[in-house]
Amino acid sequence: MEQALVVSTMQLLSQILVNGVLLGGLYALMALGLALVWGVLNIVNLAHGALIMLGAYVGYYLFTLLNIDPFLALPLSMAVLFCVGYLLQRGILNLIARAAMFNTLLITFGIDVVLTQLAQIFFSADFRTINPSYAGSNFMVFGVTLPLVRVLAFVVALALTIALWLFLLHTRLGRAIRATAQNLGAARLYGVEPKAIYALTFGLGAALAGGAGDLYGVVSQINPYIGATLTAKSFAIAIIGGLESPLGVVVGGIFLGVVESLTALYIGPTFVDIASFGILVLVLIFRPNGLLGATT
Amino acid sequence: MTLRFKFILGVAAALMLATLPWFASPTLIQFGISTLLLATLAQGWNIIGGFTGYASFGNSEFFGLGSYGTAIAMVQWQLPFGVGLIFGVLLSVIFALVVGIPVLRLRGHYFAIATLALSQVMTAIVSNLEVAGRNTGLVLPLLNGDTLFYELSLAVLLLATLTVLWISNSRFGFGLIAIRENEDAAASMGVNTTLYKVLAFALAGVFSALAGGIHAYWITFIDPVSAFDLSLNVKMIIMTVFGGPGSVLGPVIGAFVLSGISETLSTEISSLANLFFGVVIVAAVVFMPRGLADLMRRFRKTGWRYFSENVKQHRL
Repeated sequence: MEQALVVSTMQLLSQILVNGVLLGGLYALMALGLALVWGVLNIVNLAHGALIMLGAYVGYYLFTLLNIDPFLALPLSMAVLFCVGYLLQRGILNLIARAAMFNTLLITFGIDVVLTQLAQIFFSADFRTINPSYAGSNFMVFGVTLPLVRVLAFVVALALTIALWLFLLHTRLGRAIRATAQNLGAARLYGVEPKAIYALTFGLGAALAGGAGDLYGVVSQINPYIGATLTAKSFAIAIIGGLESPLGVVVGGIFLGVVESLTALYIGPTFVDIASFGILVLVLIFRPNGLLGATT
Repeated sequence: MTLRFKFILGVAAALMLATLPWFASPTLIQFGISTLLLATLAQGWNIIGGFTGYASFGNSEFFGLGSYGTAIAMVQWQLPFGVGLIFGVLLSVIFALVVGIPVLRLRGHYFAIATLALSQVMTAIVSNLEVAGRNTGLVLPLLNGDTLFYELSLAVLLLATLTVLWISNSRFGFGLIAIRENEDAAASMGVNTTLYKVLAFALAGVFSALAGGIHAYWITFIDPVSAFDLSLNVKMIIMTVFGGPGSVLGPVIGAFVLSGISETLSTEISSLANLFFGVVIVAAVVFMPRGLADLMRRFRKTGWRYFSENVKQHRL
């Protein structure tokens, strides 16, 4: 009897851990775009969550109107959001690139409000979810249930993260982006055109948000107001993981995913946000360079 | 303008606003109350955001704590409104100290996001408290007296504006401005930066909590989502930025102008008003980052070039 109880507790715990890790992969992808833009442009994009929300709606409408599978729609969603991001940076954010940081916070906050309200007007405030036929399928590994869509989302999120990493390390454009992040003046001397690089980087960040949003719409519910929470979570992950490498962001995402799953089970579902933002504030106060970052 | 003329003009404006309930329609008085409360919130944000340069995206926490403090005191402990208001302010100040001391050590982005995160958490915390009525909220005793609420709101706004006027001419205020311009330099000049920032945060908390308490008693019903209404952050920030952050009357003028426009818009479509706020923030940051106050001062000399010069100065 007691042994059975121990076994089921262990099973429950491992199920929760697996759920947390799967969620964490998606969280990492959400945070990746924010971290990229922050690291290169020194903009903390408060509209990042709203871009994720837009990506989710692109996926949703491609699925409901054109019947395109959400995983096939991923590149489309990313392409649409890349354009949105590119135009935002080129048309608006470049105009205040040399203003005080306070102003970039205010303007991205304003963009967040505009995107959210437009979404509410055009898409309505109803909860939506992208619901392909295989949405309910599971498979079992070692007695742990693995929901198919969550595993797929996790794999795609990781693949995109690795792709970004390779892109930044090994392509000409990637090197230009990293050079801009390190030293704008020197990069300029080597022929990097900052206007274009800034817009491309912001577009890339938005594309990652779009991809994350599309996947988020498959595993969770969306409405126009999910943005603010997702911005704060992305920021929490970027802070926990540090800004140095995409791998740190993955660790941060999985950490947050596991903490949220454990909190939901052992303390209560209403405490999930308290736990994740509590961790954010604590990390900010005690290790502002990230849990994995260098200590100063 | 001489100082005396400004003083007379200010008193005249305040008196005019004070007599409004005797000839205005009930709807106008209600619009007046909400505008005055928003102006108070904007003025509170002005102290921490405008003068000190710390972009707080969580001042709605103070408003919510003021609302809940007042409601808990009146409903659960049957205390009079005045005591409730003081209790709400007390909660808010305690919160400002407990949270402010660690969080205000953070700068720039980090502070902004920490306040954003905290504002998301407050709703969840309050919904788990028995004394605050959990998810269902609290119902306050009914008091029919819009004139009273109007005068009370006006008095609180006056108090906030006079405090900001004092700040703008005091050693304390110069310390805050020094922190905004260059915190390290301010510290090396002998400004006790931590103390100043926490005081500014707490002062913002006092006025926001007063507005929250009055609002709760006026509206007679509060629940976690409406008391910690996140859109209040949008409104108070944009009103301050539009009017002129770091000026004395900017936030008040910003609140009056923008409330008027958004009220007109929301009679058409309600979500249009919020969209308008977002567009105004973006446009104001690009074209007039120093607000209406600076625009009016300089527009006569520069004309329409004022806007293009602002853009030229900051673009890549």
